[in-house]
Amino acid sequence: MDRLLTEIGLFAPAVVFNIYFAAASIPLGFVMAVFLALGKNSTNPLISRLSRGYIYAFRGSPLFIQFFMVYSLALSFNVGVWKPLGISWFVLHPLFIGPLVLVLNTAAYTAEIFYGALRAVPRGEVEAARAYGMSRRQQFRHVIWPNLIRLAWPAYTNEVVFLFHATAIVYFALPVIGQQKDLMITAKELFERDYNAFLHFSVAALYFLAVSLVVFFLFGLVYQRLMRHLPATPGMRFAPKWIR
Amino acid sequence: MMDDVNFWLGYLTNGKHLTWYASFQFTIFAAVVGGSLAVVFGLIGATLKNSRFWPLRLIGSTYSSIVRGVPDVLFFLFFPLAFEQGVEWVMASQVCTPDTIAAQSAAWPPCKEANWFLGTPEYLILASVSLGLVYGAFATNVIHGAMRSVPRGQLEAARAYGMTARQVLWRIHIRQMWIYALPGLSNVWMLIVKATSLLSLLQIADIVLWADRLGAPNFLPAVGLVHEDWRWRYYLVLFVFYILVTLVSERAFAALMRRAGRGILVEAR
Amino acid sequence: MKKLILTAAALLALGASAQAQETVRIATEGAYAPWNFLDDAGKPAGFEIDLAAAICAKAEVTCEVITNDWDSIIPNLLAGNYDVIMAGMSITDERMETIDFTQNYFPPDPSRFIAPSGAGLDIANLEGKRVGVQGGTIQAAYAEANLAGKNTVVSFGTADQAMADLGAGNLDTILADGAYLEPVVAASGGAFELVGEDVMIGNGVGAGLRKDEAELKTKFDDALTALKKDGTLDGLIAKWFDGRGPYFTE
Repeated sequence: MDRLLTEIGLFAPAVVFNIYFAAASIPLGFVMAVFLALGKNSTNPLISRLSRGYIYAFRGSPLFIQFFMVYSLALSFNVGVWKPLGISWFVLHPLFIGPLVLVLNTAAYTAEIFYGALRAVPRGEVEAARAYGMSRRQQFRHVIWPNLIRLAWPAYTNEVVFLFHATAIVYFALPVIGQQKDLMITAKELFERDYNAFLHFSVAALYFLAVSLVVFFLFGLVYQRLMRHLPATPGMRFAPKWIR
Repeated sequence: MMDDVNFWLGYLTNGKHLTWYASFQFTIFAAVVGGSLAVVFGLIGATLKNSRFWPLRLIGSTYSSIVRGVPDVLFFLFFPLAFEQGVEWVMASQVCTPDTIAAQSAAWPPCKEANWFLGTPEYLILASVSLGLVYGAFATNVIHGAMRSVPRGQLEAARAYGMTARQVLWRIHIRQMWIYALPGLSNVWMLIVKATSLLSLLQIADIVLWADRLGAPNFLPAVGLVHEDWRWRYYLVLFVFYILVTLVSERAFAALMRRAGRGILVEAR
Repeated sequence: MKKLILTAAALLALGASAQAQETVRIATEGAYAPWNFLDDAGKPAGFEIDLAAAICAKAEVTCEVITNDWDSIIPNLLAGNYDVIMAGMSITDERMETIDFTQNYFPPDPSRFIAPSGAGLDIANLEGKRVGVQGGTIQAAYAEANLAGKNTVVSFGTADQAMADLGAGNLDTILADGAYLEPVVAASGGAFELVGEDVMIGNGVGAGLRKDEAELKTKFDDALTALKKDGTLDGLIAKWFDGRGPYFTE
């Protein structure tokens, strides 16, 4: 029992990195996803094609490869672009490029969720808004967006949990700076010392599970708030789905 | 001009590149075996979840929620290691004597005789099984949902014909379930395909490892062509490869759906 | 499905029979030229692969060279996935706690700093620089202990990945084995240079074995003694390291 507690203590600094990677990429990924979803739904063929292609490419290829590719690509621009701009130390830092790749990836998955929700927004409500003489901006702000976010929220919650799980492979693909190690690297290094696979990997799994539960709880609160106008608020359960 | 073409053709077909191309077999093997196992585990999981006996139901739902609650890569690394240690532990209880245990200096295995060599084939099989286990948990949910979507009337009709519970399950329920399960299973398959990029973490010389080795800068003529860092080009090839696999898989599943959907009313789909 | 299971069984049987023949499995990294690398045919090649062949011929054992990532090379030795490590691994007291080494087959060799030519690094008082190392090496331990306070230490999976970052200007310098860096500097056409003083860490390079493999260790040690005496080892060092040596013959 003592051993377990020390072990949990050992992992505490590591989980910060996983949380950081997820927290840093969620807001930007969200915003980018909204634009991509609107782009995919756009009547302009060029914008629609580009958004469609982007979403398809980043959902259709492994995150692991995306990490390697973006890092080596960024590296090849270093001498020509980042160095002269003086942002080299920053751009190639795993704490920047990690969230960057995660944003690129999660934006594609989230955009697909938002696009699905966008198509499901009741047509009648939009038509009513138009009949009221609302501008397109007003229609989006007051009718489409509130519907969209309510429809998409449960699936988006899943996506956020998946994003958190995806932070597990960041340091398998990027260089490690000093003692900046996440849960997986910590578990792997401890395992390589004493071969206790059950202890180390279980503790790492516990951390992932615990944070996932917290995410579900917090996003559940938001969902209840989003649905507060309904007589009976539908609850959200801890049930990661196969959506991704 | 011609010389250039010949040079690049030669470079791209040297033994190192041929080994890279050959290593796609590991990826394909892992995807196919992992995918098949995922369906098997999914069927088992869904049957457990549907069971009338509550401990079995509990096992089914625990399996599907625990495995989905942790990152796939964690389970992917953990399962082969744990399985190896489990086998060695069983072997140790058979072959180890107090003398051999005393002679063992490393932390694991308990004695030298109980050691199990793991090479690429063993790791590949274990990797496929862990893919099957992880995504079997996702397939469990898909299949469970699909089994509940089969119209009650069909099952009742089968029962009315005097079929036993087993006959109803195998002849009607599972056969009618596919049409509802296919869209979800297609998603699971895409996840498995993408997860095969992790094989190199288990010391399998797969496409990702070779892309790194081939693209890494080389300074020594004795080693091969001297070139700077070319890794992003190789990763771009893999990026495109996976997108193409996704594209082909989508087509294949669409065809499968059309086939499975023959004779079924459009509203039922 | 039946066919798949049969294939699986056949593959497992293959693994078992390889074990029965008492092949000595030698693990190398395959990304550390000229020590060990993958040649154009995709097969392991280099100084240590030639040396392994010579040792195995002398000791009259069949050997098989396999590759394994550097960061898990000792754990997988201990886990019994192979019997010997020959991967440019320096003999250190810390490693001696977990594994055994044969006598060295490469003399103690200074570690060096490499930097782009003309960068004017003050190695003795290095401050605020980005120092690349390969994770899990003696240089990584040294950098962590002596340089990490004032500099950023970045660790990579392979030495080649670190070189890629140095070449792209993402690192100021790399600390690595002199015998790895010297050919790189020589072949770079003046793009890189070695800077600063030698850093003496490690006691030469030897083959790593599990501690309970006394018999195999004796075989390898005897073979190495013979190869040192008859000049084969010096010949291989001269062949792969640009005429270095001789170290082990008078």
